[in-house]
Amino acid sequence: MYRYDAIDREFLTDRANEFRSQVVRRLAGEITEDQFKPLRLMNGLYLQLHAYMLRIAIPYGSLDSRQLRKLAEIARTYDKGYGHFTTRTNLQFHWIKLADAPDILDHLASVDMHAIQTSGNCIRNVTADPFSGATPEEIDDPRVWSEAIRQWSSLHPEFSFLPRKFKIAITASAKDRTAARVHDIGLAIKRDRSGALGFEVMVGGGLGATPYVGPTIREFLPASRLLSYLEAILRVYNRLGRRDNRTKARIKILVASLGAEEFARKVEAEWEAIGPGSDLPDTELARIRAAFAPTAFETLPARSTAFEEAKGTNPAFARFVRNNVKPHKAPGYAIVEVSLKAIGATPGDASAEQMEVVADLAERYGQNDIRVTHEQNLVLPHVKQDDLPTVYAALAAVDLATPNINLISDIIACPGLDYCALANARAIPVAQHIAERFADQDRAELIGELKIKISGCINACGHHHVGHIGILGVDKKGEEFYQLTLGGSGAEDASVGKVLGPALPANKVAEAIDAMVDVYLSQRQEGERFLDTLRRTGAAPFKEAVYADAH
Amino acid sequence: MRALTANRLVDGEVVFWNHGRWVERFAEAQLFGESDAAAAEAAEGHAKTQTTIVVEPYLIDLVESGEVWAPLSYRERLRALGPTNRHDHGKQTEGGAVVEALLHASGAARSKGRVDLIKRK
Amino acid sequence: MPTLIKLEAGRFTRAEDPFTSVGDDQELPPGDVIISLTRFQNDGERLLGQGRALGVRLEPAEEAAALAYDLPRIAVVALAFPGYRDGRAYTSARVLRERYGFKGEVRAVGDVLREQAQFMVRCGFDAFEPADGATPEEWAAAAARFRHVYQRAADSRAPAFAEREE
Repeated sequence: MYRYDAIDREFLTDRANEFRSQVVRRLAGEITEDQFKPLRLMNGLYLQLHAYMLRIAIPYGSLDSRQLRKLAEIARTYDKGYGHFTTRTNLQFHWIKLADAPDILDHLASVDMHAIQTSGNCIRNVTADPFSGATPEEIDDPRVWSEAIRQWSSLHPEFSFLPRKFKIAITASAKDRTAARVHDIGLAIKRDRSGALGFEVMVGGGLGATPYVGPTIREFLPASRLLSYLEAILRVYNRLGRRDNRTKARIKILVASLGAEEFARKVEAEWEAIGPGSDLPDTELARIRAAFAPTAFETLPARSTAFEEAKGTNPAFARFVRNNVKPHKAPGYAIVEVSLKAIGATPGDASAEQMEVVADLAERYGQNDIRVTHEQNLVLPHVKQDDLPTVYAALAAVDLATPNINLISDIIACPGLDYCALANARAIPVAQHIAERFADQDRAELIGELKIKISGCINACGHHHVGHIGILGVDKKGEEFYQLTLGGSGAEDASVGKVLGPALPANKVAEAIDAMVDVYLSQRQEGERFLDTLRRTGAAPFKEAVYADAH
Repeated sequence: MRALTANRLVDGEVVFWNHGRWVERFAEAQLFGESDAAAAEAAEGHAKTQTTIVVEPYLIDLVESGEVWAPLSYRERLRALGPTNRHDHGKQTEGGAVVEALLHASGAARSKGRVDLIKRK
Repeated sequence: MPTLIKLEAGRFTRAEDPFTSVGDDQELPPGDVIISLTRFQNDGERLLGQGRALGVRLEPAEEAAALAYDLPRIAVVALAFPGYRDGRAYTSARVLRERYGFKGEVRAVGDVLREQAQFMVRCGFDAFEPADGATPEEWAAAAARFRHVYQRAADSRAPAFAEREE
C-alpha cells in the first residue's frame, strides 16, 4: 500500500492549515458564503438538510486498519457514531459542524487521510478495482496509476476551476468492477500485441440528467504517457466545456456535441503540443509501483481443510462463502466481501463499532488491507482460507456477514431526501422495503445476480441509470414517486437503463420489483441472470407485469 | 401561513426565526399569516444580512395538520424532524406535541420555499 | 491608489500601473493602453507604430493562440476572470508561458481573489488586480501556503517527484 512520505504529509498539513484559515475568515465575515463555498467544497464539506456533510477521500478505495480506526474515532467524536460509504468509494459523515471541520482534517492528516477535492469543479477521487492486487484477473495493478493520478490532480493549478466536476475510474480486468464506461474518463488497463502496458481511454461517460456510455477516444495509450494525455483531455475540456448552463457543463456533453472523432482529434493535437513534460519519470513510477509490490503471501495448499470442513458443517457459512467470497490469485487465500447491506439497514452505512471490527480483522487476518467498492460494500482482499470461519464469525457478530453480495438485497442507494439538500425523494426507505421483501436468502439466491440501484434525484449518485433495475425518486405534486428503469449495467457491458413506464408511488415499488422477479423466474433460460433474460425478451413482459393493475 | 428557516453557519443546524432570534425547534418558530406578508419579507431581508450567523434563509409554506401548523413539503418536514431512517437522530428525538404532529402530518403539496430552491439551482 | 500587485523575482509588491484599460468604444488616451483582442486585431499595428506599450485583454473564450505571432511586441496580456469560477484563464496563462514562451506581463483581471493566488502564480500570472482588497503581503502569504506541489506548471517549482530525486 502506498506509504505517505514527508512530502505527502507536509502537503496534507498545509492543506489542513489552509482550510482552517479559510474557516476562520468565513466565520469572521471576511469572505462571503459565495466565495467560501467552492473552498469548502474542495475540502469535501457540503451544507445538507440537517447539518454539514463531510466527504472524506478514500483514494482508489484503499484503507489500512489505522485509517479505518481513525474514521471510527471521528464518527464517535464529531458525528453520530457512524459513516456512509459512497458510490465513489469515499466516506461521508452526515452530522458535521463547520467549526469542527478544521480539527477533523487535522485528525485525518495524522493518518495520511484528507478530504481534498471530494467535491467542487475539479478532479475528484480516482476509483479503481477493489480487488486489485488480489484478483487473478488483473493485467496490472490499477492502484499504481490511481496514485499517480491522485498526486498529479491534487491542487492542479490549471484544473481547479473546471466547468464541472471530473471523475476518473480505472479498471484492470476484463470484468469491470468500477463502472469505468460511465465516468468522465474511464481507463482500462491493457497490453498491446508486443506486451507493452497501456490504457484504453474512454471519455464522456456519465450519469445524471443525460446519461452516456463513454466512447473510446484512444484504443491504446502507452502507460508512460498517461499524465500528459490526461492533461490534454482536461485542457480541451477546460477550454471548451460549457460554462453557460450547469446541466450541460460535463465533458460528456462536449464529447457528444463534437462527436468522439473530433474530440479525439482535439485531444491528440493538444497532446502533441504538450509533449512529455507532465509525464512521470520512470523513477517515480517505479517508486509508486514498489509501494504496491505484491503482498507477501505464505505458501499454502490450494485447498484448506479447515475451510472445507466448516463449509460442510455450517450451512450459513457455506452460504456466506457462495456469495461473499471470491477466488484469490494466491493459493489458499480468498477475497472476502463485507456486506454493508444487512436486511433493513441503511445501505452503505457502517457504525463505528463495525468499522473497528473490520479494522481488527484486517490487521489480524487481512494484511492490514481494506477496500471500499463503488457498490457501497467493503472488501478484505487477502484472507487465508484457513481463517475464513473465524473472520466470518466475527463479521456475523456485528451484522456484517449478510450473504447477499450481488444479490437482490445488495442495493445501492444514495442518502436521498433523508439527508441530501439536492434530493427530490427518499431512497433509503425504498431500499429497506425491497430488502425486507426479499429477506429470504434462499429466494435471493434463486434469483441470483440482480443489481438494484436507487437515486433520490436526477444527479444519480445512486447510479440508477446502470442498475439492472434502476429506481429514480421524483417529486410528483409534492409526493414521492419512483420511476423504474430496466437494463442498465455499470460493468464491462455498460448500458443505460430505459424507463419502464409511469412513476409509481412509494408503496407500490417493492411489489413492482416482486412482479418483475416473477416474470424473470418464469422466463429465464439456463444460466441467464435477470439482466440476460431482460435483454433477450425485451421490457414488454416486465412492463406488463408491473402495470397489470392499470388494465 | 409561513415560517422563516435557515441553516446555522457554525454547525449547519436547522433553525427558525422567532422575532429576531433563531431557535432550533420548529415548535417555537414565528408564524407569518397572510396579513403578515410585509413582516415576513422584512424578516427574510434582515436574515439575509446575518451572513455570519445563518446561511441561505428562506420562507416556507405551512399547512394545518390537526391543531398545529406543519411545513407543507416533505423536505421541510424532514428538516424540522430529522431523517426517517434513524428516529434516534435529529430534532425528532426531543418528542413533544409538535414533533408528534409533524410525524403524522397529512397533506403535502409543493412548498413555495422549496420551489424557489429548485429554481435557484 | 494603485491596485496592481506585481510578482518580480519572487516578491510581491504594490505597483503603479502604467497601463490604462480602454473599452472598445472609448477614445484612446495617450500612453500605454490595454485593449481588447478585437481592437488589437483591428488597430494594433497602428498603435504599436505610435510607440506605445500595448496590452491585450483576452476574455475566457478567446484563446492565447490568437496572439501567438504578435506576442514579441505585446507588453501585457490581461486574462479576464468574469467570475472567479471561470477557470479558462488558467489555461491561457500556461499556454502563453509554456507554449509560446511569452516573457511579458500576464495579468489577472476581474474577479481576482487571494484564495486563488497560488493557482494563478503557478500558471504563470505575474501581475494581479485584486478584487478583494488584498495587499501584496496577503497575496504573498496566500501564494505560499503549500511547501510542495505535485505537478509541473508554468512556474519553476519542482514537483514532488523531482524533489524526491534529490
